[in-house]
Formats: sequence, structure tokens, C-alpha cells
Amino acid sequence: MSSREKQKERARAEREARERAAARAERRRRLLLQLGAVVAVAAVVIGGLILLSQKKDEPNASSGAAVAGVADARAMLRGIPQAGTSLGDPKAPVVLTEFADLQCPFCRDYALNVLPQIVERYVRTGRLRLELRLRRFIGPDSDVAGRAAQAAATRNRMWNFIDLFYRNQGQENSGYVTDAFLSRIATAAGVPASLVVKGNTTAAALEKPMEMAESEAQAAGLESTPSFLIGPAAGEGKALDVQSLDIDAFAKAIEPELKR
Amino acid sequence: MSDRRLRAGALAIAGIGICVAGYLTYVHYAGLQPFCAGGGHGCERVQSSSYAKLAGIPVAVLGLAGYVAIAAALLAPGERARLAAAALAVSGFGFSAYLTYLELVVIDAICQWCVTSAVLLTALMVLAVWRLLLLTDDGEPLERGAA
Repeated sequence: MSSREKQKERARAEREARERAAARAERRRRLLLQLGAVVAVAAVVIGGLILLSQKKDEPNASSGAAVAGVADARAMLRGIPQAGTSLGDPKAPVVLTEFADLQCPFCRDYALNVLPQIVERYVRTGRLRLELRLRRFIGPDSDVAGRAAQAAATRNRMWNFIDLFYRNQGQENSGYVTDAFLSRIATAAGVPASLVVKGNTTAAALEKPMEMAESEAQAAGLESTPSFLIGPAAGEGKALDVQSLDIDAFAKAIEPELKR
Repeated sequence: MSDRRLRAGALAIAGIGICVAGYLTYVHYAGLQPFCAGGGHGCERVQSSSYAKLAGIPVAVLGLAGYVAIAAALLAPGERARLAAAALAVSGFGFSAYLTYLELVVIDAICQWCVTSAVLLTALMVLAVWRLLLLTDDGEPLERGAA
């Protein structure tokens, strides 16, 4: 093969290589565009579903509707003494202390599905007293809600307040804990609305119990909510080991303490 | 890397994903709490949060459907199937990233099963996009095959 033919051959090979590279780049561009288009459609669909879900989860009480669960809350707590953060006979031999965040949906599940049975079995019968410690680690609404609940505690109505709060709980950190929401919950719980609005819950007397709750939880190594301590009224509590949030699991953990 | 190896790897990951999402779907409908290593409440809190459902459908069910769809797309031949697998994996990764954000910022709890799924979807996305963009229609690496 002459030198000129070799040059032609090389030039053809180079041209073909360039064409292949261009075709590869074009194919990649086309596939990326298709991939982007399909993913964009998927993102729109998923985003729409997320918005739809969030809209459906907005609480009733903040949108001006009636407070849900007033009759149920009254029925559960009727006739049981309350004093500050306590629920039950002050002379009860055993104390169950709950650490909760009012924004926590898991705490709501406990409050609505397990607490009524604990109250009926152990608190109403004078065997157990409940204490509530409010934490505020989920976000700013936890702080606002916690202070309002502490304000309700000054009227010995904290348990009514928190039960109704859970029954009307909204989306975490969505800003639903407004003065209007708190006022409706407070009124339904038998607490003057003026006590729970944001401007009136800055007192140190409301802040201190929440700071103490945080310290107590940290000292006990409790990292999530709801968490529980149980122990004799006169002694220290130990962490309650429950495997699931149902009454059987709680009964299994509580009853040995009642027998001591 | 050949298409055969990439596909086998992606299928193995999708299989693990089906097991994880299948377990979470089972505990959801059986009314059980998911096993959480270390005894923390993270899994329970995430699974029982208001974000555990999307438009009324449990996220675990959506995950299971997603993994099954990815596996089906991986098993099918051709460029369209590779595009479908990549699109599903990228979408799954995006949704998983959103759920991880919710866990870290909103729910303030970490579910080990969800983290596992997020890792699986990240690996699936890499492999599926690799198969789509760096292999020829015949499943050969672009450097060796013709475009």
C-alpha cells in the first residue's frame, strides 16, 4: 500500500471514529433527555400526592372547625383528680412518668389507644398515678404547645388539654399551633383561652418545668418520645421497657411494679 | 463492566429491596412494630408518623411496588426496559431522599429499614443509569461496541 493510500485509510478511520463518537454522544444526549422527561413526570406525580396527603392531614381545630374528641376526653378523665402535671390519686403507690412531645404522632397513638385503658385499669382504681413531662425537640410548635399545656396545668386541666391536643394534632412543624388553635383546645379543655395564647406563656413558671423535663429525660438516657419511667411514689423511677404501644405490653411492664 | 454483571448486581439489590419493603408491608398490615436494632423507637416513630402514608397508601407498599417494578424492568430486554429501570430507580432515589429529609428534619427519628432502602436505591440508581448510558444496545461497553 502506497503512502498516499495509507494516509487515505487513516483519514477514513479517523472520520469513522469521529462519527462513532458523535453518534455515541447523540445517543447519550437522547437517552438523558428521555430519562429526564420520565423522571420529571414521576416527580410531578409524587409531588402532587405529597401535597394531597399534607392537605388532608390539616387539623380540624386550626381551620375553625369544632374541636374533635371533647366527649371522649371528658369521659376518660371524669372523676379522676388532677394536680399540675399529675393524674390520679396522690396517694397511689406507683408512679408512671411519661416523657412526650405534643407534636409527636407516636405520643398521640399512645394517648389515644393505650392511655384510656391504663387510666381505666390502674389510675381510676387508685393503684397508679401518672405524671407528664413535656419535651420540645421536634420543633418550635412543640415549645409553644408545651408552654400552653403547662399553663393548663396551673388550672389542673393539663390532661384534658393534652388529650384534646392529640385528638386534633396536625402535621409536625407545619405551624398549625396558632393562638386560634390553642384557644379552641383550651376552651374545650375548660381552661381560659387567655392563659394559653403565645404572649401569655412566656413566664418562667411555665419554662422551668420544661427545662426540668429535658434534664430528667437526659439523666435517664431517654432519647425518644414517648418514653416512660416507673417506680414507687416515694422512690426513683426506672425506664419502662415496652416492646410495642399496646395495652398488653404496658400491662406486662406495669403489673410487676404494682405487686412489689 | 458487562451488562450481564450489572444486571445481576442490580437484580440482587432489587431482591433485597423487595425483602425489606415486603417485611415493612407485613408488619404494617399485621399491626406489629418493626424490629429495630439497638432497641430504639426510631422505626416505630417513623412508621407511625403521619408521613408513613402517601395519599392513603403505606409508604412500605409503595416501596414494594417500586422494587418489583424495577426488577421487572431489569429482567426485560432492550433499551426501553433499561430506560424504564433507570427512571424508576432515579425516581425511587428522589423519593427516598425526601423521606430521609423528613426523618432527619421533621420526624426527628431514624428508621434503620428506611436507611437500608435509601442505600439500596442509591446503588440501584447508579447501576441502572450506568446500564442505560454506558452500554450499547447489545449490552456491550460503549468503548468496545458500536454506537
